[in-house]
Amino acid sequence: MSVEVALFYGLSFLIIYFGLGVLMNPNPIKAAFNLVLTMVGVAGVFFHLQAGFLGGVQLAVYAGAVMVLFVMVLMLFDLEKERDAFSEGFLGNALKLISVGLVVSLVINSVLLSSDLQSAKGPGATVVKDAEITKKLADLIFTEYIFAFEILGVLLLLVAIGAVAISRIKGGTHANS
Amino acid sequence: MGSDLIEIGINTAKLLVIFLMMVQIVPLLVWVERRGSAFIQNRFGPNRVGPLGLTQLLADAVKFLFKEEFVPDKNRRFLFYAAPVVALIPGALAFAAIPLSIPIEIDIMGKSYKFLFQGYEVGIGIVFVLGVSSLGAYALLMAGYGSNNKYSMFGALRASAQMISYELALGLSLVGILLVFNTFDFQQIIDSQLTNFVFMGTETALPNWGILYQPLGFILFVVAVFAETNRLPFDLPEAESELVAGYHTEYGGIKMNMFYIGEYGHMLVASALIVTFYFGGYDPIFWTPGELVATYGNVMAALLLHVVFLTKVGLFLWIFIWVRWTLPRFRYDQLMDLGWKTMLPWALANTIITAVVAFWLRA
Repeated sequence: MSVEVALFYGLSFLIIYFGLGVLMNPNPIKAAFNLVLTMVGVAGVFFHLQAGFLGGVQLAVYAGAVMVLFVMVLMLFDLEKERDAFSEGFLGNALKLISVGLVVSLVINSVLLSSDLQSAKGPGATVVKDAEITKKLADLIFTEYIFAFEILGVLLLLVAIGAVAISRIKGGTHANS
Repeated sequence: MGSDLIEIGINTAKLLVIFLMMVQIVPLLVWVERRGSAFIQNRFGPNRVGPLGLTQLLADAVKFLFKEEFVPDKNRRFLFYAAPVVALIPGALAFAAIPLSIPIEIDIMGKSYKFLFQGYEVGIGIVFVLGVSSLGAYALLMAGYGSNNKYSMFGALRASAQMISYELALGLSLVGILLVFNTFDFQQIIDSQLTNFVFMGTETALPNWGILYQPLGFILFVVAVFAETNRLPFDLPEAESELVAGYHTEYGGIKMNMFYIGEYGHMLVASALIVTFYFGGYDPIFWTPGELVATYGNVMAALLLHVVFLTKVGLFLWIFIWVRWTLPRFRYDQLMDLGWKTMLPWALANTIITAVVAFWLRA
């Protein structure tokens, strides 16, 4: 087993371990810490696969943004009460596991079904420099996928407005439920 | 890492040396900070132990190591112990990615090697450093939550809110630099600053530094890194008049010292980034690196350029200290207003103007 393979499997093991930690931990804060470590692990895999730009963005955007989650959790949750809500016995856990299984099988199947991906990898694939990858990414996003990109932006805006609207309906942060 | 044992060995040693550089600059900076603050406030500062009080550092280090370990009773054990270690990681990772001088090419036992004067080369340097340094706040959060103490918790919350608010301005102020130099790579950014500044088609005596292209970006970046390093006037996470000592209230001895190393490491990275982006990196103004290599040989020239780089970094480290002992702390609403209502719009404007000008010039 070469160093590269060992690194890849090590990182994958860590990602799965911390990913499970996110789900299994009854304490939302510890779950969030596990989420950060999962994100860092994914960034590590990106760096390992020579996709430096994606790795950096993964660190800056995802790992950095979990911080917001922290603040939300700490400010909005009553941790002692949530502990029960987060671990709801057999039915709740079963539901969680089923939904996770569905998502994972979706991801795995989408990878398996896209034959292009499988034919693209292999020893013949050349290593491109990070800067070129970044340029290519930008080209694709702003030409071929411009519509999807813009739609995603609109979607995010919708989510933000929706979140504000819902929190306003329920009385905002001053609700005393 | 390298093709044979010598290369791998030297590259590993390089990583260690760069980490130790970050750790070892801390006692020196603490000395400068104490003497500098005394100088600013018309006092003497530590001047009893050794010449100029320099061996005070050694005494402090011994004290930190041998202090009785105090651990609060109801802490969250793992987070509490992990936080000081995590505090060291972002600074060390980011500093190792910055080129500190020109590469050294030497022959060892009949084989020629090329060693970069940096820990490792990341092609997308800027994104990497931004990503890594955004992890810095987690150490504070872990410390705050792990200590199980309200003051620590408030400090950690303030730290995370502050980081989120200023990270946007930090990233946006760098977009201007990306557009001007048209690359993510530190080495290419420094290389394109080594020539002379060309104004209206005539070559001037000024060096071709980033600050001449991005004066507003420079100001925004400096303010944002001050906020990211949690230094005064942005040190609300550890505001000692309100929160005892903020997130590190419960830490003592070497553990607290590690937080200090993390903070000064952040300062070092911030200064190195300012120098790299806006002041030509190791550019020795009056000569080019090529001329120095021709006169003194490759190794000597690399060391000289490294000294040039360190001098510039030292200047900015002094500015960090100078500002700390000059400006009072912001109020919390002022901090948020500055971040969201002042820095962010200016950074956006800077980005748009730079983009338009760059597009117009290159079209």
